[in-house]
Amino acid sequence: MSLEELFKEIIIEHYQHPKNQGHLEHPDAKSDGSNPLCGDEIAMELRFDGDRVKDVMFTGNGCSISQSAASLITEAIKGKTVEETKKIMGEYRNMLAGKEYDAELLGDLEALSDVKKYPARVKCASLSVAVLDQALQQKK
Amino acid sequence: MDIERIRKDFPVLSRMVRDKKLVYLDNAATTQKPSVVIEAIADLYRNYNANVHRGVYLLAEESTQAYEDSREAVRRFINANSTKEIVFTRNATEALNLIAYTWAEANIKAGDEIIVSIMEHHSNYVPWFRLARRKGAVIKIVPSRMDGELDMDAYKSMLSDKTRLVGIVHMSNVFGTINPVKEIVSLAHKKGAVVVVDGAQSAPHMKIDVRDIDCDFFALSGHKMLGPTGIGALYAKESYLESMDPFLSGGEMILKVTLDSVVYNELPWKFEAGTPNYEGAIGLKAAIEYLEALGMDTVETYERELTAYALEKMKTVPDIFIYGPLNAAKKGGILAFNIKGVHSHDIGTILDSEGIAIRAGHHCAQPLMIDCGVSAMARASFYFYNTKQEIDLLVAALKKAKEIFGHVA
Repeated sequence: MSLEELFKEIIIEHYQHPKNQGHLEHPDAKSDGSNPLCGDEIAMELRFDGDRVKDVMFTGNGCSISQSAASLITEAIKGKTVEETKKIMGEYRNMLAGKEYDAELLGDLEALSDVKKYPARVKCASLSVAVLDQALQQKK
Repeated sequence: MDIERIRKDFPVLSRMVRDKKLVYLDNAATTQKPSVVIEAIADLYRNYNANVHRGVYLLAEESTQAYEDSREAVRRFINANSTKEIVFTRNATEALNLIAYTWAEANIKAGDEIIVSIMEHHSNYVPWFRLARRKGAVIKIVPSRMDGELDMDAYKSMLSDKTRLVGIVHMSNVFGTINPVKEIVSLAHKKGAVVVVDGAQSAPHMKIDVRDIDCDFFALSGHKMLGPTGIGALYAKESYLESMDPFLSGGEMILKVTLDSVVYNELPWKFEAGTPNYEGAIGLKAAIEYLEALGMDTVETYERELTAYALEKMKTVPDIFIYGPLNAAKKGGILAFNIKGVHSHDIGTILDSEGIAIRAGHHCAQPLMIDCGVSAMARASFYFYNTKQEIDLLVAALKKAKEIFGHVA
């Protein structure tokens, strides 16, 4: 295990310069969550266009893993259908659980694959998908 | 102190972690155990295990004696008057809850005021918060000053004839601040208020004299002072314990039970329902004897030297902010900090890769985190088995963490 595997450049880049950070005007769905143990916080806002995630923004604070994951996930799902979003989240969860996963579908999100070697940090990387899950449930 | 010899008493300290020698700096969370503690527990189970205060056979006499000897060890360690004043609990948290559910439940009324400090661990805040909600009592919070010490002027101005209880942490588990409990007690007593001192962090690191402090209640946790987990103690002045109703009820805490009457046991057993954690108490006695052999003054002096060294060295880490007093004379060996641009959780992982164990998070003191404007801090906390070399390793690893995350404006 090396630190360079965990703290890849792309992760630090997304931590220091997150994409899709902020608020949406008139979101169709929003949700937030936190890890009480370490204090990581993520809130997500989504707008839909028919069956598509038209736009997504997040706010939050916490460690590099939780915040870069939020940035990378919002990048990965923007413009995708809800069905595709759920598929990506499923593969992402498989990756964190150490199971087989579809690397092509995950794209840049694969940068977080080494988090699985740090069991204490998996919940940091998972926070965003839990929040996204709740937000998607609000879609009628 | 011959640290190298002392370190050999602690088997886990020679362990390798991720191919590095373990540097254990999370002593405010729990301490490591010397062989004498591990052996004392093994000796019980190998040689004389029997339930205490029940059997008439030899094994039961031996285990009961060992259990009660431990009570005497705790009494001596904190200089209480009598073993009647020492109640074994699971930990400091349970000791504090015991007071909230017995003395305070019976004595705090609507409109009464409870004073606690902003530095309290959740264990010395949530029980009073809940009590206040149940009773309609008012909680007042003593702030800390900019230098990390308690704002005694604010405390004095809050005390009034309405004050019924003051809850104060002796040594903050975040700032490391040692609060002037003796003065706090004396001021509170003038107003007729009782004082509960949370000694979870102080008892392991400094000489405690509850008679000198003159507090009414004092709580400690065994596992933070070399003992096993699951054993702690409540000190309470005998007159309070006499007047208080039992906390938990069942076996052991009774003298006589008929279907329509119950006579409670004598002190302190009135407060120890059920089979107690005698294994834990026996381990705690070995821990106390180990500390007494070292001498608490020696422990305190050595740790102060370590803390002063750490404060000096940690200042050299770029963009570090250390919370609490920066003067080692005012605090114990607890250093909470943040490094700009590196979240404490990431610091924890990077240090772990170097074999260094520290704590990252809110330290069960969320009101203090909010007061400091952060959601989390990293915390290194020392014990007498730590060394200056280990602090050098800590500082080098913190610099590495800063490098990994680059220079952030």
